[in-house]
Amino acid sequence: MTPLIQLTGITKTLKGQSEPRTILAGVDLTVHSGESVAILGRSGSGKSTLLSLIGLFDRPDGGQYLLGDRDITKLSERRSAALRSAEFGFVFQRFFLLKHLTAAQNVAMALVNGQGWRSRRKRKALVLAALEQVGIGHLAKHKPPRLSGGEQQRVAIARALVREPRILLADEPTGALDTETGNLVVDVLRAATERGCGLILVTHDRDHADKMGRVLRLNDGLLAPAPQRVPA
Amino acid sequence: MSGRLRSALIIGGQGIRARKLRTFLSMISLFLGVLAVVIVQAGSEIVQRASIADIELQSGKDGTHQMYVGGQDPGALTTALDTVRDRPDAVALSSGKAVIGEPNVTPINPGGSSFDNLGSRPGRVDVICDQTGCYPDPSSQGAPKPNGKAIELRLNAMTGDVRQFKPYRQESGQWLDFASAPSLAPRIVLNKKAAVGFARYQVPAQLHIDGGTSDPTPQIVGVVDDGSYQPEAYVRVDELTNWLPAGGLGSSRGSSLQVLMSPGAADLEQTLRARLVAAGMKAEQININVVQSKQRIESQLALMRWIFLGMAALVLLIGVAGILNVGLATVGERVEEFALRRAVGTPRMLLAGIVLAETLLTGLITAAAAIGASALALRAAPTLAGGRGASYFQDLTFPWQAGVAGVIAGLVAGLLGGAIPAIRAARIPIATVMRA
Ligand SMILES: Nc1ncnc2c1ncn2[C@@H]1O[C@H](COP(=O)(O)OP(=O)(O)OP(=O)(O)O)[C@@H](O)[C@H]1O
Ligand SMILES: [Mg+2]
Repeated sequence: MTPLIQLTGITKTLKGQSEPRTILAGVDLTVHSGESVAILGRSGSGKSTLLSLIGLFDRPDGGQYLLGDRDITKLSERRSAALRSAEFGFVFQRFFLLKHLTAAQNVAMALVNGQGWRSRRKRKALVLAALEQVGIGHLAKHKPPRLSGGEQQRVAIARALVREPRILLADEPTGALDTETGNLVVDVLRAATERGCGLILVTHDRDHADKMGRVLRLNDGLLAPAPQRVPA
Repeated sequence: MSGRLRSALIIGGQGIRARKLRTFLSMISLFLGVLAVVIVQAGSEIVQRASIADIELQSGKDGTHQMYVGGQDPGALTTALDTVRDRPDAVALSSGKAVIGEPNVTPINPGGSSFDNLGSRPGRVDVICDQTGCYPDPSSQGAPKPNGKAIELRLNAMTGDVRQFKPYRQESGQWLDFASAPSLAPRIVLNKKAAVGFARYQVPAQLHIDGGTSDPTPQIVGVVDDGSYQPEAYVRVDELTNWLPAGGLGSSRGSSLQVLMSPGAADLEQTLRARLVAAGMKAEQININVVQSKQRIESQLALMRWIFLGMAALVLLIGVAGILNVGLATVGERVEEFALRRAVGTPRMLLAGIVLAETLLTGLITAAAAIGASALALRAAPTLAGGRGASYFQDLTFPWQAGVAGVIAGLVAGLLGGAIPAIRAARIPIATVMRA
């Protein structure tokens, strides 16, 4: 079966203040549809950098990146935007909801992005389905300042899911939440993979990581399976 | 409508709605600048219309050669008329006082004054001025005549069509027909000021010309706008001479003869000069000048306009600085929003376009407000000015050029004030959302 995404020998060097620093030194990663992968690593190890390459925010310096069997290593800005819209869903540590818009309008942001057009009624149906999928359909008309942190993050997840992406990228989505709410959010993300979506979760929380199908660790610019946890 | 455009409208609309006060404030900063441009443009258009529109009617088209022949020499006059008569490239124009209406009365407008301000000047005009100087009006001497139904005007008798030099605008009826055989009843074309008198007062159709022996019955065939502020009438000289003794034309004081020639009629100019001298005129009495009024006035107005527009542009620049300031602050505030919108697939050019469109829209709305404000001010001007000023402002319409200038000023300001924020917006890296 063709993997969803396949990264081979991905490198990235960032020009720091003084000398250039190699953040990624040849990362290999394959994710199949319906699969969930956790990425661990200490702060500054390059997890967000890796995610930004996978999500087409930026281009790698070397290596090869396949989406299905299509080589997307070097894409134009216009094509990357189209792919970000069609294939990827993003969830970040902070929720990035626009406070003057309702939850529904915030979710609709991913539909009103200049990539294709859906009628107002169609948008409404999609938005409501996404909100329901994360369990907050009843909060559609609320504005973010009136929502709890967990509710806000679920609005953000609904925004990531509304276009039914093939890959969900989450960068420390529980970082700003308490343990219980964090668990809920991870369960919601995990549930999305049951519909065939791939999930890459960057986290510091080993418990959350262990809920994923595979746990990897980014260390010295290389991705490797995380060592087994020694049961306490 | 494409999906991009619709998305842009929604995103832009959300942006403006979320920052109503800020949009309003940047409009205020721009308003004065656009207003200044609109006012300068409107003012100079109005002045230009008023001074240039009539200048060709009054002094003739630029390049016309104009010769004045002193008034009190019937011999010279006849010579001039005869010399010019059959020339298509020149017109001799003899002007003198005439009265239409009851004979031997004081006309409704003594001295041929305008009907607009009848009675505004106390007493009668009893001094007449022409190029030979000023002197008492002979008709005002002796016993005063009773008031009667008569209109005094300046009658211009022409050897040909004067409109090739002074393009009078036809207001109604027709202009004189110079091709047909002369009519026994002189056909007359009035100017607007004279037409006012004829519309207002019933006067008998009897034309009395100074120096004339009998009074013909004139036929009024049309009305023109000749740019004059006094009642005037135009007539074919051959239809008039039937009613005048030989040399009667131009024999009264205050009458004058003017010859208008096209630049190519140099030979005529020489012949005329020679014959006039032969007829007894002094050479230094014959003056020829080339009309250049329009060119002169236009260059003066253009200079003034540029000076004022320059000042308006400075005010506009301050407005642009204001809109730019607000635009940069807004983009700074929306960094995360823009990064996120790009993350969900919004193309960067679309975002830049939306930022630019928001300021362009602000500029356009401001321009509309400034244009509306100055158009209203112009409409209110007659009431505010009152009295004499009122009539000046009465028939002013808002010049479309000022509207265009305002829209352009608004768009340019929007473009200048929006371009840098738009570029900034397009350059926001998406990864911002991961590091915030
Ligand atoms: N734009 C940039 N220019 C230069 N260096 C950068 C840039 N962005 C990140 N870095 C550096 O790259 C390294 C990796 O950053 P990254 O954000 O990927 O780490 P991370 O693993 O996500 O850390 P954290 O767990 O704290 O989020 C860091 O040392 C950081 O200082
Ligand atoms: Mg990170």
